[in-house]
Amino acid sequence: MATVLLKDVKKVYSGNVTSVHDFNLEIADKEFVVFVGPSGCGKSTTLRMIAGLEDITEGELYIDGVLCNDLQPKDRNISMVFQNYALYPHLTVYENLAFPLRLMKHPKLSNEEIYKRVTNAAEILGITQFLARKPKALSGGQRQRVAIGRAIVRDCKVLLMDEPLSNLDAKLRNQMRAEIILLRKKINTTFIYVTHDQTEAMTLGDRIVIMKDGFIMQVGTPAQVFDSPDNLFVASFIGSPSMNFIHGKYKAGKVTLGDGSVVEVTKEMMKLHDDFYKSQLEGGDPNDQAEQFLRDTHGVDLEKFQKIAGGEEHEVVLGIRPEHITLVKEGTKGAIPLTIEVNEMMGSEYHIHANMDDGSKVIVRIPTISLEEKEREEMVPDHKIYALFGSKALHLFDPDTEISLLRKKEAKHEEKKAEVKEEAAK
Amino acid sequence: MKMKKASVFLYLIANIFNTLEIVAGLVLTIFGAVCAIIKPYAVQEIIEGQYTAKYKITQGGLNQMATICLAIGIPMLILSIILMILIKKASKWPRPSVGTNGAVMLIGLLDGDIILVLAGLFTLLARRQDPDMKEEQNHLGLRASRAIGNTFSYIVLAIISVVWILPFVFIVLQSFRTETTSQVGYILPKQWGLDNYLFLFSPDCDFLTWYFNTFIIALACCILQTIMQLMMAYTLSRFRFKLRKPLMNIMLILGMFPGFLTMIVLYQVLKAMGLTQGNAVGGLILVGVASSGMGYYVSKGFFDTVPKSLDEAARIDGATRFQIFYKIILPLAKPIVIYTILTAFMGPWGDFIFARLIAFGDPNGYNVAVGLWSWLSQSMISDYYTRFCAGGVIVAIPVIVIFLFLQKYYVEGVTGGAVKG
Ligand SMILES: Nc1ncnc2c1ncn2[C@@H]1O[C@H](COP(=O)(O)OP(=O)(O)O)[C@@H](O)[C@H]1O
Ligand SMILES: [Mg+2]
Repeated sequence: MATVLLKDVKKVYSGNVTSVHDFNLEIADKEFVVFVGPSGCGKSTTLRMIAGLEDITEGELYIDGVLCNDLQPKDRNISMVFQNYALYPHLTVYENLAFPLRLMKHPKLSNEEIYKRVTNAAEILGITQFLARKPKALSGGQRQRVAIGRAIVRDCKVLLMDEPLSNLDAKLRNQMRAEIILLRKKINTTFIYVTHDQTEAMTLGDRIVIMKDGFIMQVGTPAQVFDSPDNLFVASFIGSPSMNFIHGKYKAGKVTLGDGSVVEVTKEMMKLHDDFYKSQLEGGDPNDQAEQFLRDTHGVDLEKFQKIAGGEEHEVVLGIRPEHITLVKEGTKGAIPLTIEVNEMMGSEYHIHANMDDGSKVIVRIPTISLEEKEREEMVPDHKIYALFGSKALHLFDPDTEISLLRKKEAKHEEKKAEVKEEAAK
Repeated sequence: MKMKKASVFLYLIANIFNTLEIVAGLVLTIFGAVCAIIKPYAVQEIIEGQYTAKYKITQGGLNQMATICLAIGIPMLILSIILMILIKKASKWPRPSVGTNGAVMLIGLLDGDIILVLAGLFTLLARRQDPDMKEEQNHLGLRASRAIGNTFSYIVLAIISVVWILPFVFIVLQSFRTETTSQVGYILPKQWGLDNYLFLFSPDCDFLTWYFNTFIIALACCILQTIMQLMMAYTLSRFRFKLRKPLMNIMLILGMFPGFLTMIVLYQVLKAMGLTQGNAVGGLILVGVASSGMGYYVSKGFFDTVPKSLDEAARIDGATRFQIFYKIILPLAKPIVIYTILTAFMGPWGDFIFARLIAFGDPNGYNVAVGLWSWLSQSMISDYYTRFCAGGVIVAIPVIVIFLFLQKYYVEGVTGGAVKG
């Protein structure tokens, strides 16, 4: 039973550096939330405010409904795993794990009880054979397990992890990632996990919080942020290789790309597009912080938006994920000619870096088995291929504000309303 | 990387020491000049009014003090400035090198600063084991310069050891001489025996009282001072509060003044409290412990190298700040704890100036240094010279024993733990 609620939480470091702006998030009991974003975007700062290691400059933090702003870390009943493990070098692994237990006051644990809990945690993490060693005598992966072990011996309300896998090599990282998923099944608690790696975020999180420059850019399930990114930043950050962005001109449901090819969007997208510009003329959605942030930072040219809303042709950024591009025969309707620049053979798939006729770069990702033997041999630099952008997989972004034109605002409003109702019911 | 840090640490020490010396030199010089020029009658009157006739500091005494201050202050000032320039030069070299460490050692040697010499030597030795550095040096063909640097440091160390050990050997030999008790013109005793030592422990000698006094003072100072100093260092290393920087600066500046400047005032205060003469032990403990927080630099430097994330982890694990201090920081800073204990013990153990002033002629309040020194007065020296030597040896024994056992930690403490693997 541990929910976490952040209300307009803000962090200003000395020297007036605002690292986190009005952070609003409600984390449900036993939820696994991942904060992800490029380095320096304020993930750690937010996590450390939840832990109590940093003061909260403004706003409120509730853990389990209790206002925690002024509570010491030890009184918040949370635990944390650090990137650099932070194991106590002078204590054995056993004593490292027992450390939080020995400090517990109510109930004061007996030595037998401590032994039971430590060995139990050690078993979960497979470190039983190292209990007598000092941290110095362990490998990176083993140290990280001990660090996680120390965090789970106590039944804490919230388990915080700050880039716990960043110091491990790639292979170990994949392995530990899988183990964290298993660990989560074994210990029922609320997780908040910080990483800069979108793959970790996608595989681990129930919900992902994508941050940039101290602002939340989008909150959603992995599927939501992948399928309907709210803005260009989220679209480019999530997914690997990242989404292709091609500039084009939009008019009445048709996007004309630089090389003259025309891509048609669906009826639904046309409607969303029109709705977007209408709503922007009215100042956008006041409850959507990311949208407001983007409007503020990039500036909104109302006159231009007026014309667009009137149906005039205008610039858009067309987004399509590399895996949503299909290769077709020359002469197929709507096929876009591409010239291969580099072909990366990844084993099970090709990452083909190609150029459109006007020089725009496009990455195409195709499974190796979808190609005949002969076709595979042809995938060499300077070879011409023909690509089809499926209408349903398209994304459109406003080039000025970088906001997605395809956001389903209504649905969001409904969600919001439901939330408000729920809260009122409480 | 580690070695680079060590070198930076050395320069810091070197710079602190030398800044301190320059300022001390300045203060002494100015004080001396002021005394010599204006002959402060007012001060003299106060002193004369307060002191008994027997121990009166006359105007002549003040002049003497001024002369001494000038005599010590001016050379100290000049030497320190030269050293500062040397150090500045050394630290401008592209990166810490054998040459730089040599320079640091040389400076230490000139300066009589054994800490610097040791620090330089141990960094040199540690550098040899640093694989990165080794490869780079081989690559640059600097093997030879390393060898020269090492040979140089070994020679220097050998010379220091001889210089230091000779007087000690001399005193040990004298203490076993039984044919006469006065000074003689030869070194090797003609008759060997334990008479001098037996005398020290006989009932008609005050030596045991003095020894006990010293031991009590040193022990009390050692315990209290260690606690205060380490806590101070922890606070300044880990807490961020408004007056932290100003406080550190004030303590740095206060620390530049030689302790004996406060002598006269301290004596008056202690006298009012009844802690002088026969009760000098209490007074000396108070003097020794009073300003102990100010010696926080070295331990703070060491604490700063313990990663803050350990504190944070412990805070989250439920530790209070004090628990972090004694469960995490102290065990990790063992070398510096031992270093602090040692220095805290050694200070009062060899103290003379304050011990003499505060005991003020009462043999019951003497410590060993003052007591033994009283045997060197003109009327006593011919009966007590060899006994004095025996006393000196006994005073040295605990210190030697402690050092033999703890020297490893002492060096680690001095070099900021940089040598540690
Ligand atoms: N102690 C500090 N003092 C001042 N600025 C800080 C401090 N810690 C972090 N910052 C700044 O806050 C911003 C966010 O930092 P952080 O939360 O560590 O980013 P992330 O974990 O997302 O990489 C950065 O711009 C960083 O420079
Ligand atoms: Mg971080």
